[in-house]
Amino acid sequence: MSSPELVADDAPADVSVGRIRGDRTPRKLRNLELILLLAACAINGGAIYLVQLAVLDTIDPTPFLLTSMLTIAVLALHITVRSVAPDADPIIIPVATLLNGMGIAQIYRIDLIVKSSGWEATANRQVVWTALAIVLAILVLLFIRNHRVLLRYTYIAGILALVLLLLPLAPIIGKADGGAQVWINLGMFSFQPGEIAKILLAIFFAGYLVRNRDSLSMVGKKFLWMSFPRIRDLGPIMVFWLLAMSVLVFQRDLGTSLLYFGLFLVMIYVATGRASWVFIGLGLFLTGAVVASQSLDYVNSRFRNWLTPFDQAIYDAKRSSYQLVQGLFGLAHGGMSGTGLGQGRPNITPLPQSDYIVGSIGEELGLVGIFVLLALYAILVARGLRIGFAGRDDFGKMLATGLSFALALQVFIVIGGITRVIPLTGLTAPFLAAGGSSLLSNWIIVALFLRLSDTIRNQPKLVIDA
Amino acid sequence: MSDELTLLVLRLVFLLVLWGFIFALVYALRSDLFGAPVRRIKNAGRNDDLIDPFLAEPMPVATAPQQAPTNPVVAGALTEPLAKVPSAAAGPSGTATRLVITTGTKAGVEIPLNGEPLTIGRSSDSSLVIRDEYTSTHHARLVFQNGEWYLHDLDSTNGTFLNARRIGSPVVIPNNTPFTIGKTSFELRR
Repeated sequence: MSSPELVADDAPADVSVGRIRGDRTPRKLRNLELILLLAACAINGGAIYLVQLAVLDTIDPTPFLLTSMLTIAVLALHITVRSVAPDADPIIIPVATLLNGMGIAQIYRIDLIVKSSGWEATANRQVVWTALAIVLAILVLLFIRNHRVLLRYTYIAGILALVLLLLPLAPIIGKADGGAQVWINLGMFSFQPGEIAKILLAIFFAGYLVRNRDSLSMVGKKFLWMSFPRIRDLGPIMVFWLLAMSVLVFQRDLGTSLLYFGLFLVMIYVATGRASWVFIGLGLFLTGAVVASQSLDYVNSRFRNWLTPFDQAIYDAKRSSYQLVQGLFGLAHGGMSGTGLGQGRPNITPLPQSDYIVGSIGEELGLVGIFVLLALYAILVARGLRIGFAGRDDFGKMLATGLSFALALQVFIVIGGITRVIPLTGLTAPFLAAGGSSLLSNWIIVALFLRLSDTIRNQPKLVIDA
Repeated sequence: MSDELTLLVLRLVFLLVLWGFIFALVYALRSDLFGAPVRRIKNAGRNDDLIDPFLAEPMPVATAPQQAPTNPVVAGALTEPLAKVPSAAAGPSGTATRLVITTGTKAGVEIPLNGEPLTIGRSSDSSLVIRDEYTSTHHARLVFQNGEWYLHDLDSTNGTFLNARRIGSPVVIPNNTPFTIGKTSFELRR
């Protein structure tokens, strides 16, 4: 070997280190993300343009300035990801951006009917919340460089989640809205702490189950074809069943209670691989729900509205099926391809911007449009599950699975309620619905997905310890 | 109101664009759905599979010896059965699909190769981490180029050895030829 060659090869040591980083394919991933992101932002702008064309017949530049805030915020997130999580999944941010932007366009469309403007306009507030949420996501990415630090705060996360869940019941700040007491009033705006509690609960369940799953999965008696746990190991499931039931009874929120309990069941199932947990849990929950529907008036009315919404007496009753039926009429009015953005009458349904945003979009974009939303959610959830599947450490696996399942379950509860598959409950459609707390929590979930997927791709294939 | 036709067309175009976006996403995900694309190896003319010394029946077809230019000493370290097929020893015997660890604490472990570069070093951002006192932070790298695997030494302190010879510039790694980093030896296998 001649020495000049050696020098040429050996001297630029830092260059070769630089090339190591270039060797992986993050730049390709990030460029893909950028292209998809720009496409999503363009579609968002197009949606606002269509709304204006149909409703105003002129082009008003102000809303475009507003949605450009979303564009700028997601581009900032994209740049952050390039530097701190270059191997992260490239699909997640574009999907979230498109959902968020479609939500803003539809909210703006309803603002135009009810003629609200300035800070009163829900769309403007939604844009500000979006920007805040994305800034928070950037902070999460910057401060949580390794998701495993969250494992240290397992029990703190659990306690915080509990506190957040109970906050709406506190005397001064708690606030009931639309029957459910899930809000806290913070002066200028109100906040739904349960949305943040969702993430904390996922962290807590993941940490708790990673530590304790052996006793939950190893011992037990075999009965029929399933192996059932011991009585004393039933503790945690009973605790969370009680928690879910108390949310149901005291906060009068069927959807949230279903969401938390479902999240717990799936995570315990994933951790232990025992179907019996799911059977026990579902049995308990159904028993609780049936008892509640018999004894609690508001749950009972939800069931009644669900089963016989078109009964005139029920349609006119106090807790009527009016909203559900109006939503169904709206969807029917939309038909296959919708009335077109800005050409339907989604404002007839109560809460068209928050709880019924999917109904509003369904009316104006039709079944074809609803399926776009469902496909976007499906892709997002599939990415989350894929991250969980590819993960190497149990905590990361559990966390990704839990968060994506929570997202999926929430979408099911919302859209299932609107389309009368299950009783209607007041949850928000992730990213779409007007509401700051929901946006904050879902963009934090996006940040966690990005962090988890980056760590997974970065992990060595094999570690040899001498 | 703009005229009905414009709105109708724009409405349908918007739905099409939305679906186009969904299909773009799914297209971007295709490798996840259908697996990574298989690299076709351009070896139409030569029959060069199976020179694995651990497989009992070497292919009788003698291929034209394709001398690996950077690697004149391969024959020296050949194992017994391989030496009986001299033409194949030096030639690139089909693209390697796995990296096998032959000595060291993890001897016998295989790592599948899919054409992506593989970095070896003590640092945890390497694809293959070796934690012993011989390995440098970023020690070596395997790169797949023009149908062959190249071994680059990344200015390591204790060197990377192909067939017991320390390498300087990047070299082609023939299949079934040991290269050593510290106390760990590897071979590429088909």
